[in-house]
Amino acid sequence: MVKINKFQITPEDQYQKEEILEIHLQLFSILRDKLPPELKGRTVIQLTAGSTLKDLLIELDIYRRVAISVNDAQERDHSRTLKDGDKVKIFTSVGGG
Amino acid sequence: MAHGYHGKILHIDLTAGKFSVEEPGEDFYRKYLGGSALALHYLLKDMPPGADPLGPENILVLALSVVTGASISGQSRLTAAAKSPLTGAIGDSQGGGFFPAELKHAGFDALVIKGKSPKPVYLWIHDGEYELRDAAHIWGSITGEAEQTIREDLGDKKIQVMQIGPAGENAVRFAGIFSNTNRANGRTGMGAVMGSKNLKAVAVRGKLRPSIADKTRLSTLAKWGAANLADSDIAGMAKYGTNETTGSNQNSGTLPTYNYNSGVFDGWEKIDGPTMYDTVLKGAAEGKQDRVGRDTCFACTVRCKRVVEIKEGPYKVDPQYGGPEYETTSTFGSYCAIDDLAAICKANETCNKYGMDSISCGATISWAYEAFNEGKLTLEDTDGLDLSWGNAESMVKLTEKIAKREGFGDLLAEGSERAAKKIGRGTEEYLITFKGQEAPAHMPRVKRSLAVIYAVNPFGADHQSHEHDPVIEDDFEYYKERLGVLGFSAGVETRSLNREKIRFTVATQRLYSAMDSLNLCQFVFGPAWQLYGPDDIVELVQAVTGWEDFSYADIENVGERRINMMRMFNAREGFDRQQDLVPEKLFKPLKGGASDGWKLDKDEVEGALDTYFELSGWDVKSGIPTAEKLEELGLAWTAK
Repeated sequence: MVKINKFQITPEDQYQKEEILEIHLQLFSILRDKLPPELKGRTVIQLTAGSTLKDLLIELDIYRRVAISVNDAQERDHSRTLKDGDKVKIFTSVGGG
Repeated sequence: MAHGYHGKILHIDLTAGKFSVEEPGEDFYRKYLGGSALALHYLLKDMPPGADPLGPENILVLALSVVTGASISGQSRLTAAAKSPLTGAIGDSQGGGFFPAELKHAGFDALVIKGKSPKPVYLWIHDGEYELRDAAHIWGSITGEAEQTIREDLGDKKIQVMQIGPAGENAVRFAGIFSNTNRANGRTGMGAVMGSKNLKAVAVRGKLRPSIADKTRLSTLAKWGAANLADSDIAGMAKYGTNETTGSNQNSGTLPTYNYNSGVFDGWEKIDGPTMYDTVLKGAAEGKQDRVGRDTCFACTVRCKRVVEIKEGPYKVDPQYGGPEYETTSTFGSYCAIDDLAAICKANETCNKYGMDSISCGATISWAYEAFNEGKLTLEDTDGLDLSWGNAESMVKLTEKIAKREGFGDLLAEGSERAAKKIGRGTEEYLITFKGQEAPAHMPRVKRSLAVIYAVNPFGADHQSHEHDPVIEDDFEYYKERLGVLGFSAGVETRSLNREKIRFTVATQRLYSAMDSLNLCQFVFGPAWQLYGPDDIVELVQAVTGWEDFSYADIENVGERRINMMRMFNAREGFDRQQDLVPEKLFKPLKGGASDGWKLDKDEVEGALDTYFELSGWDVKSGIPTAEKLEELGLAWTAK
């Protein structure tokens, strides 16, 4: 996996590792296109401690209707605060035929 | 002058081998718009009650709409309707591709097919001319072979063919009618009806395009759709197929598993849309799947169809037969706890080669799997096939045996409800049928208005007869503008079956009913997440037909008319509220995942049905339209 670090992590931050969350991210369907194709939607993303699911969606520029699971359990509350090591899956969701 | 349609209905008497052309006026087309509603007109007017669905008195209508063939995404679809050999009630299905537009170009709006040919024939329609041709040499052919032979016979590779496969000839009760060898008018057994008439195929070709009232308006609407597809909610479905939804259904506990006993499946990721895209779509190995692994319908820019090619291994798949949709990867996959995507694609290929509804076929097989795993079916019953959960090889073999009506397959070809009645041993406990039709992969214990629709829908369980709950629940804010056109200004409590939820159910049922009369693709047009919304449907009809006074009220009116016509058809066949039943299994809890413990409540469902009948303007006790409602809709004649 490739770590994508979209934040400016300063040398001071690096000595404060507990301030950084590593989120194991998997994006499905058209959301995969937000990452390089070879990743097939999987990556590890770093966020600052205290970040929520909503923050994650904003960081990923996701504004469409989505469904989310955190650690393989459905999560509807986008204000949920993330923890280091959380596995987050983000799906698009429309009717199937 | 008519725009968008010909004003010509071709009547075919297969018994006598004769034709006639009816030319209804504009009022007829305004009253029905086409498709399903138009078909019901003939089924009610010309078919006697009590007709044998597989006998010559049954009537098969293949109907286009006033907008079929217009140059915009999502309109090239056709309705097939008749009395269903699976349910004994009205049968109805829609399918897409290129055939519908070509039938319009061949010069007719609908085909009303009566009687039974004394020998196998196919119908050839070209530029307003028509004839019956001998089909003895293709009777028994799989769809790919029959299509090729017909094109060679007639000397034109561009002829479009709609046909039955051997399953329809064998009267498999859920046989479908297929075009392009992989576009299915799948549900309710319309293929068996066509086979009972000794009609193998309809071949069409032509250049008789009806005029469009306002080409500029149509073009503007079409271009808007193409420009906005990438940002729309269906962008994912376009690229990854309808089973892009597998993951989100797993997430919310509504992915049917173990024959509807659970809503979660450990193997879901092996059978979802992205995995299909990465592995089995044609061109995937070279990274060309986006170009050669996707297909489309006439004039449609969405390109949502799958093209699967598997050259190695035990389950080789010919790309001619397309690839599975979400329903198919569920019914042959999670329903049977099977996570072998190649096997699922093989079963899909079999359905398309032999002409069967993959939903009823897979769900009938999953009924058998549950019965076997509960010890109610033995190896002796199943011709030695081990139906342990997850056994892909048996599922693939059984699919072909059903198509050919061989051994145990002959019993399953009757559908799960008849099979359970014949076997007994308590196997009826495992049924997930509504009016005898197997439930699709959208679960009423999770999306609860489905319980109402599956129960009341005149042609049995159908997931494409209304809009599902999430858009009026947690997701309302995303869609409030479009839902406002239908009269909704607020969401409702999640998973409720309150009055407002039922009002939503009725309103969206009418819209979907109208869309099945306009034969519109329900991914391209709809009330919420679709590419185009309700106002755009009005714009489409106005632009094509020139009916400037056409409004959303007219859409609702036609939708309501069609539902009432279906209800009256069923009433003549002895159906009323007593057949609007939910199978017992759904009153038992689901196991595992987000929907663990969820079940339906009988009193709540009955209360919801009461509200549904009341809001529909029907007698609540019988579920039959009242005389006042029929009068209002111009349907008093259907009560006679």
